[in-house]
Order: sequence, then C-alpha cells, then structure tokens
Amino acid sequence: MKTQKFKRPLTWASLIGLLAATSLTAQVQNLTGDEDFYIEDVDESTDVYDPFESVNRFTFKFNDFVLSNTFQPLTDVYTAITPDPVEKGASNFFHNLGYPVRLASNLLQCRFEGAWVETGRFAINSTVGIVGVFTPADVYECFAPIKSEDVGQVFGAWGIGEGPYLILPFLGPSNLRDLAGFFGDRALSPLNEPLGVIDDWKWEWQFALSGTGYTARSPQIIERYKKLKGSSIDPYSSLKNGYTQYRRGAVAE
Amino acid sequence: MISFFFKTFLVFGLLLGATVSAQEAQKEKLQGMIDATLDVIYSDTHARLPAKEKQAKVREKLESSYDLDVMIRYAIGKNWRRMSEGEQLEVLELVKQLVLKAYVIGLEGKDRPSVSLGEVTETGKSRIEIESTMVLDTKTYYILYRLRQMESGWQIYDIVAENVSVSSNYRGQIDDHFRKGSGADLIARLEDLLAKDEINEDTKI
Repeated sequence: MKTQKFKRPLTWASLIGLLAATSLTAQVQNLTGDEDFYIEDVDESTDVYDPFESVNRFTFKFNDFVLSNTFQPLTDVYTAITPDPVEKGASNFFHNLGYPVRLASNLLQCRFEGAWVETGRFAINSTVGIVGVFTPADVYECFAPIKSEDVGQVFGAWGIGEGPYLILPFLGPSNLRDLAGFFGDRALSPLNEPLGVIDDWKWEWQFALSGTGYTARSPQIIERYKKLKGSSIDPYSSLKNGYTQYRRGAVAE
Repeated sequence: MISFFFKTFLVFGLLLGATVSAQEAQKEKLQGMIDATLDVIYSDTHARLPAKEKQAKVREKLESSYDLDVMIRYAIGKNWRRMSEGEQLEVLELVKQLVLKAYVIGLEGKDRPSVSLGEVTETGKSRIEIESTMVLDTKTYYILYRLRQMESGWQIYDIVAENVSVSSNYRGQIDDHFRKGSGADLIARLEDLLAKDEINEDTKI
C-alpha cells in the first residue's frame, strides 16, 4: 500500500518531467535553428518559368517608358481635373460593365454563390446605383464586394498550367494561360463581339470607350506601379514574382 | 483508473490552454504594434514632421515590439553568405529604411485604416499565422502575419498581403540580383533607391 502511494507521485513527476523535457528539447532545437531558418525556402515558391526573359525585360522597359511618358501625364491631368467622386463613379461604371465576365467565370468554376453575389450586385448597382456609377449594394452584407473572377482563373481552376511568363506590350505582366484568358474576357465583354450589345458598333466608339475605361482605372494601376518601382531592388523581378504569387493565390482560393 | 485519465486529461488541457493563451498574447502584441505605428502616422502632433523623422518614429515603435532584422534576413536567404560582414550590416540598414519609407509614404494622405486581427493558426513547430483585415478607403485588404519563435522571442518573418508574400518577393529579387551582381552592387542599388523620389508624397497604395 505504501509502495502504491509512493508510486503515484512518481508517475506524475515522470509524466510532467517528460513533458517538460519534450518542451525544453523543442525550445533548444528552435534556438539553435535560427541560422537554418534564414536559409530555408520561403513558404510561397518563387519559381517562375521565364524562358523569354531578355525579350520580356525589353518589353518591360518599353512599357515603363510608355507608362511614364504617356499614360502618367494623361492620368495626372485626369486626376487633377476630375473630382474624386467622379473618378470613383467612372471606375465603378466600368467595373459594373465587367459583370458578364465575372458571372461566366464564377459559373465555369461552379462558384454559384459568387455568381449569385455578382448578379445581385449588378442588379442593385445598375438600377439604384444609376448604371453602376454608385455601389449601393455595398450596404447589404449578402452582396458585399467579392474578389473578381476572370477566364484566366477559370483555366487555372481547370488545371491548365501557367505556361511561360510574358510581358505584353501596353498590357503588362501575364503568362500564356492568362493571355488566352484575356481573349476569353474580351469575348465575354458586352462591349466587344460576339456578345456586343450595341448595334452598328463602330471601331471609333469601341476605341473611345476602351480608352475611357483604361483612363478611369489608370490612377490605381499607375500608383501601384510607382510604389512597386520605388521599393524594388529589381522592378522586373518584383513584378514577375508579385504577379505570379497573386495569380496563383487567386486560382487556389 | 478513471482518476488517472482525468488527471492526464487535466495536465494536457492545461498545457493546451497555456499554448492558446501564448498565441493570444502574440495577437495582442501585434495589434498593439499596429495601433502604435498608425498612431504615429496619423497623430496631429506628427502631422507636420518631415518624412524622415516620421519614419524614424515609426521605426522606433516597430523595433520596440519586433526585430526587423529577422524578416530582412529571411528575405535575403542564403545570399547572406555572399556578402562581407560590413556589407551585411549595411544591407540590413538600407533595406530597413526602404521598407519603412514605402510603408509610411504609402499610407500618408489617406484616412486611417482600420485593422482587425482574426484567427491565430499554428502552422508548424514554433510558427503561427495571424489573419487580419485592413479597411482602407472603403476597400478591404486581407493581410497575413507570419511569426516564428526565434532566440529573441516571437518575431514576424513574413507579411502576406493579398496573396503576395513580401519575403518571397524580396527573396526572388535578391536571388535574381546575385546571379549577376555582388553585395556592393546591391548596396549601390539600395542607396540609389533611397535617394530617388520614386515613392513620393503623391504615391498611394
């Protein structure tokens, strides 16, 4: 009986001792592992297939020149003469027009909830929000903004590989899969054939509307680009890595 | 026998409770640091400070909670060994200045963002992730903070904003740089970037 009484505290002491030792071992392993930690691979793999790097770098410089010398001055004028609410309204209007692309992309990935939210937002913003200039749907929790889907993401969700990384003249970073997706987006857009909603759609009008759409979105694009360029050791590499991580994340979600 | 299982359960429960409470403590510490840095950027007393002084004050707040070297060392990776001791120290300092400059100027001229921290997830041995959402100019951004227990305590080693890991992004750039360049070239590039006004007062996130 005495032995039994003695054994119990011993059992508990052993158990606690074992746990403490395990914890201590883990701590010691951790303390000695700082240097190893620094050289381990980062959580997000940065491997990007870039066989056309020299051509891409050239196109990147060309785009940088065009952006800095053409689009940026235009954007500066646009933001200077346009009051912020108008700027925001124009951006909202063009985003609203992209509804068919987002709807189809959600449906093609069987994201029915996303399709429902996009449809609700389009219906509310197009009517109460006066053709999408305002976004009254934001106040409804069930129709809160969601991340935009596009055809490139659909291809990714279907398991199609990225292909080589590309820098497209005037359009910026992409890859073969997203380039194909870009043409898919254009085909689904109500402003372009075959789903164009306006008869006798002359190219001048198409060009003007596309140009206005780009101008409305350009302040955000240029601000992000300037920020990336200003904080990057190698802006080309930073854009390549950032774009690829972003797209991989969007496909995985 | 039942008593034994009960007590074992109790011991494990206590240990689990201690771990969860340690993770919650990290969440509180992170929230405190974020609030303190935003207070510096958005307080009336600092509104008229020159950019460099404001950056120094933000740095003071950040460094009182976390060791910024950890994140920079993680971003540099094995390239660290390709630099001399002097170059290593200089690169650490210059990258720190660059990141702080981008952070402070990126937020200036905008309304104070509201940042709320979410779930804490244990992702591995001595590693946790803390989810957060930042609402800035009516837009919501999802940001993930990755922390690891180092010799100096829990430290942030990566920040993932909208699926883009900052450490991975810099690691990619630095790897590319060292394929052709040296530590001295990297220092020259960083000094050039800090001297330039690419990130100027008009640049926003």
